[in-house]
Amino acid sequence: MFRNYFKIAWRNLLKHKGYSAINIFGLALGLAVTIIIGLWIVDEFSYNNHFENKDQIAQVMQNQTINGTVEANEGIPLALEFQLRENFGDAFDYIVMSSRIDERYLSLKDKVISSSGRFMQIDAPDLLELDMVEGTRKGLKETNSILLSETMAQTLFGSESPMGKSVVSNNEHTMVVTGIYKDISTNNSFSDMHFIMPFKHWMSTRWGWLENQDSNWSYNPFFLYLKLSKNADLVAVNARIENVKKDNRPGGDTFNSRLFVFPMTEWYLHSNFENGEQVGGRIENVWLFGIIGLFVLILASINFMNLSTARSEKRALEVGIRKSIGSTRRQLIYQFLSESFLVVLFAFIIGIGLVVLSLPSFNIIAGKEVIFPWSNAMFWMVSLVFIGFTALVSGSYPALYLSSFKPIKVLKGTFKMGKFAAVPRKVLVVAQFTVSIALIIGTLIVKDQIDYGKNRPVGINSSQLIQLPTSSQDFSGKYEVMRNEFLSSGAVTKMGWGTSPATSIWNYSSGFEWDGKPTNFDESFALMAVSYDYIDAVGMKIVEGRSFSREFATDSNAVVLNKTAVEYMGIQDPIGKYIRGTAAGPDDVPMQIVGVVADVINESAYEPVSPQMYQFGQGTGGFYYLRLNPEQSTSESLASIEKVFKINFPNLPFRYDFVDEVYAKTFAAEERVASLANIFTILAIVISCLGLFGLASFVAEQRTKEIGVRKVLGATVTNLWMLLSKDFIVLVMIALLIATPLAYYFMSGWIEKFPYRTDISAEVFLIAGLGVLLLTVVTVSFQAIKAAIANPVKSLRTE
Amino acid sequence: MIKISNLEKYYKTEEVQTIALNKLSFEIKEGEFAAIMGPSGCGKSTLLNILGLLDDPDGGSYLFNGIEVAGYNERKRAQLRKHNIGFVFQSFNLIDELSVFENVELPLIYTGVKTAERKERVHQVLEKMGIMHRRKHFPQQLSGGQQQRVAVARAVVNNPKLILADEPTGNLDSSNGNEVMDLLTELNEAGTTIIMVTHSEHDAKFSHRIIRMLDGQKVTENVLV
Repeated sequence: MFRNYFKIAWRNLLKHKGYSAINIFGLALGLAVTIIIGLWIVDEFSYNNHFENKDQIAQVMQNQTINGTVEANEGIPLALEFQLRENFGDAFDYIVMSSRIDERYLSLKDKVISSSGRFMQIDAPDLLELDMVEGTRKGLKETNSILLSETMAQTLFGSESPMGKSVVSNNEHTMVVTGIYKDISTNNSFSDMHFIMPFKHWMSTRWGWLENQDSNWSYNPFFLYLKLSKNADLVAVNARIENVKKDNRPGGDTFNSRLFVFPMTEWYLHSNFENGEQVGGRIENVWLFGIIGLFVLILASINFMNLSTARSEKRALEVGIRKSIGSTRRQLIYQFLSESFLVVLFAFIIGIGLVVLSLPSFNIIAGKEVIFPWSNAMFWMVSLVFIGFTALVSGSYPALYLSSFKPIKVLKGTFKMGKFAAVPRKVLVVAQFTVSIALIIGTLIVKDQIDYGKNRPVGINSSQLIQLPTSSQDFSGKYEVMRNEFLSSGAVTKMGWGTSPATSIWNYSSGFEWDGKPTNFDESFALMAVSYDYIDAVGMKIVEGRSFSREFATDSNAVVLNKTAVEYMGIQDPIGKYIRGTAAGPDDVPMQIVGVVADVINESAYEPVSPQMYQFGQGTGGFYYLRLNPEQSTSESLASIEKVFKINFPNLPFRYDFVDEVYAKTFAAEERVASLANIFTILAIVISCLGLFGLASFVAEQRTKEIGVRKVLGATVTNLWMLLSKDFIVLVMIALLIATPLAYYFMSGWIEKFPYRTDISAEVFLIAGLGVLLLTVVTVSFQAIKAAIANPVKSLRTE
Repeated sequence: MIKISNLEKYYKTEEVQTIALNKLSFEIKEGEFAAIMGPSGCGKSTLLNILGLLDDPDGGSYLFNGIEVAGYNERKRAQLRKHNIGFVFQSFNLIDELSVFENVELPLIYTGVKTAERKERVHQVLEKMGIMHRRKHFPQQLSGGQQQRVAVARAVVNNPKLILADEPTGNLDSSNGNEVMDLLTELNEAGTTIIMVTHSEHDAKFSHRIIRMLDGQKVTENVLV
């Protein structure tokens, strides 16, 4: 029986090749998009998933109230560690203090490799469940020990065993290799860690302190990771530790810091906090793409249903014959369902082909390493259910509809589709285009918003400006020398130094006083130390006063504010006024405001600029900023700069970044989402148009006789083209009317999240509307014109 | 075998109600070959469809082998139909996507006959109809006469007790038409009851009895044998 069904189905597919191609390819495309999105979602959910104790691993964070807004911060003070170990040790299996991910030059003889890693306490290998290739998980005991990833060990030592051998960190500290761990899988929060050095080593080199600062509650640049004990209850632990900082900090806590444990299972997808509450994060993208995937699948299924029912008139006779020779309705339903199953299976196979072909490109765009799960039984099970479900959904309507035909009518040839037979089909077309148009509008608005952020004036002149990291101690005290050498090389026209990237904040500070400061004002300033020439070198604009200058000896205690800071502080005529306070300087020397600069974007292009102070400084760390000579080619300039660099720092690798590229990277996450959404939207439109094309060709075929008669009676090609296209255009217009307010509603909700945002312009709706209409006309016209120019004698003979 | 009494059928369009069968009564005995004649629109085909259980009457009684089937639902009708009735249509109504063999095989599939037996029975009937050599061809590769032979083969492959033929020669030239009529006569002689709707006096002469209809009613009956 089923063989017969499949035979008929197969021959039907072959007989109507064009129709089959549209139907199968459309569905294959839909399935491919859905599978890719599915794989992506699975990958997102599998982040941090391979840790055996993922449910117990967590990080301690704090909610601090600053000027009425609660901010969640990862950084915690050193003293917290001692409190937790001392008084709450029973709740935790491991407590591990850590630095944030950091860069170090690791060198072995003449080989220098720049590597990323962390400085962590001795239980880190146990907490992170490191898979040791050599050595044990207890390798961080000595202050001068270092653990290397397998890759890093191979890069440095090649085939010889590194155990017990020395590497030099940042050209100054000799570390002994005490363990090699298998590279941490890419899909987790610790993936780019290629070395682990002891936390106390970091403390002694970077901060000049050793550990055991058990009363230091003021500095908050440390991270604290935990493994909760097996039976610890998160809510109870949170309640216990919430006020530890507030209760122990000498002199109280102006920021009302409340501690909480943030479990690893939520780090990746639920990492956004707003006013102390968790408000989602990447999970929103998961939802977004999940919905797009579902829509695309629905679109493709709608096509399948539409084309199948449209073709049903052709199959009506077959239904009649089968019924007259004894087929029951149920057998017919089975027949059409198995046909649908065959097509879906076919489409699925092609879809998998498409997925396999497009995965490499997808991975590049999505920044993923998704592989096709050939050997994953779960995947095939889900796929099978998926095929069955899609076949059932997309085949049920045609199956029920076709099998309901009255045999005598179709056999007698008196069968005509009822007046309303085309209504469900029309509803489906409208639904399909509503989704497509809404997706287009959505992606256009997303693109507009990203462009709006990108076009926002940055506040510096970032082109032809490079930054060189100067974190190594080797740079100490060399700024003036290097400046002279770079300038005299002719490759550089201006040079400055600053403690952080020009468009980021690495340091916030409070504890300032000024005349007229409102009472109970909990200020927080972004702080950056810069050299004399920084402001000029990066091209910032002075609005009032002047920049730092060598001509004023007092400028070592001068400060330059951004415009926002002046407004934030509420002072009039700031030039010449003083800022005092514990954070102003070691001896509490008042800082004089000498200038005000125009705002430079310092958080994100979508956020308001934070009040920022530029203090004068000449320390190490941070970056050199070099403006390249426009008279020379970039490559020429870079070559000369490298030469100067290598003469002065022969042991350091020459590394640099273009400032505009660094800034552009801050858009990467949004752009990634946007380009994925773009691709999926285009595919959704392609699928919709494929369906429309099939349907149009069908209607043209159906009306062949009518077209012939009309032509004989004198209709022109234009008349006929209008006749055939009109219906579809009306449907798309209806879709446009439904999609516009829907898209507006959802997108205004989305865009509200950005403090710095563009207005949703009417243009977007116009472009989407006209674009889709044009596409409809082109799609439909191809078939309409083909039918209209056909020889009427031929078309009249078809009956 | 068939006894209808006061059979009624109406067709309703939006405004008009047309009477297709108006209290029609007659009886057909087992082994009989009856021809039904009459002008277009007199209700011949409606009658045939009701007799073939493709349609149900609006009133009256229809006894098939002594059982009242007028009130049967679609399922029961299909069940009765596939075991007892074979159809031959004017326009052949073969399934284009199936070969000659597969078309003839179809009723056997629906009655659940096993593959080996199906093959044997289809071959037998194709042999009998003289189209064995065409068994792998598709309908559109055959002449009209050949297509109608296939249709007849399909109608008889299940050994039905009753064959309903709706103008079986209407689309054929006279020599092909005669061949089909000879086939039907042979089947009748072998015991199958045949009811045939026709416009052709020539074809009607092959039957035992001619029932003439007008406006949904029987007007005359001529017994030929």
